[in-house]
Amino acid sequence: MALLLRSLARQGLSRSCPQSCVLYRHVVPMGTSAKEEMNNFWAKNSRLNRPLSPHITIYRWSVPMMMSVTHRGTGIGLSAGISLFAVGALALPGDFAHYLGLIQSLSLGPAIIASAKFTLAFPLTYHTFNGIRHLFWDMGQGFKMPQVYRSGYIVIVLSLLSSMALAAL
Amino acid sequence: MASLVRLTSLCHRGVKPLFFRSALLLRPVVAQKGNEDRIPISAQIHVTPSRYSSGSSAASLHWTGERVLSIVLLGLLPAAYLYPGPVVDYSLAATLTLHGHWGLGQVVTDYVHGDMKIKAANAGLMALSAVTFAGLCYFNYHDVGICKAVAMLWSM
Repeated sequence: MALLLRSLARQGLSRSCPQSCVLYRHVVPMGTSAKEEMNNFWAKNSRLNRPLSPHITIYRWSVPMMMSVTHRGTGIGLSAGISLFAVGALALPGDFAHYLGLIQSLSLGPAIIASAKFTLAFPLTYHTFNGIRHLFWDMGQGFKMPQVYRSGYIVIVLSLLSSMALAAL
Repeated sequence: MASLVRLTSLCHRGVKPLFFRSALLLRPVVAQKGNEDRIPISAQIHVTPSRYSSGSSAASLHWTGERVLSIVLLGLLPAAYLYPGPVVDYSLAATLTLHGHWGLGQVVTDYVHGDMKIKAANAGLMALSAVTFAGLCYFNYHDVGICKAVAMLWSM
């Protein structure tokens, strides 16, 4: 159904405004904007104290879903880290070398240092590689389900490998 | 039985958008008995006319700007490794802050509802981003700078 309409719509592209086209004789312009509609939806539901439908507790989890959540989670985490660093630079007394020295004086074992580096690197690598995947989607590429899964697994593998490589440096 | 009808761009004002044709508002089209003989479902379509009052392309430009910035940031990562220094330091400070600001803005849009709450959340976000950028620039000026700091941290 949608395919038929899409092909018909494409035919109408090269012509003049479709308002005069027979297909759209019964077209009705929207009375409200998308923003208004969204606000009305939420206002009405909060006013009537309606419970939220179960979603993450009941919907079957999938790899693409989890990767999308992780992309957002790593993004928020990375932003928080940068902001904390920036606030620290403004508020804390010593300079960077001073605080590095403090960590150095803890004399942490190489295993702990490597795992700490991995923990810092992984959110960055994951967010970067998945970000590239997003950019391909933005160009309209790779939406078929097998492609979504394949690119997803590639992102996970690349993120893990590059984080391990960085942690070893 | 309802079916969702989606149309790709109809009258696109003679301007070719960068990536996609703009999608029009979805409207559920309900199939009723005897509907087919009167008005074909294909014609019962509610659309946003291209010359609607909110004809601003601000949202579309914002979207494109977000993607361009992501690509710039992607390029800065090897640049930070190959050419560390104040130019990359300040570029990173600006790009990272803006990318994070726009990203968190999308999170606010997704999860915060209600006019006053949206306003408050965006104000808080603006304050956070301002402080973040100020702090990063301060660090770049008064301390070793982002590139050197990462190198120092990683040499531990």
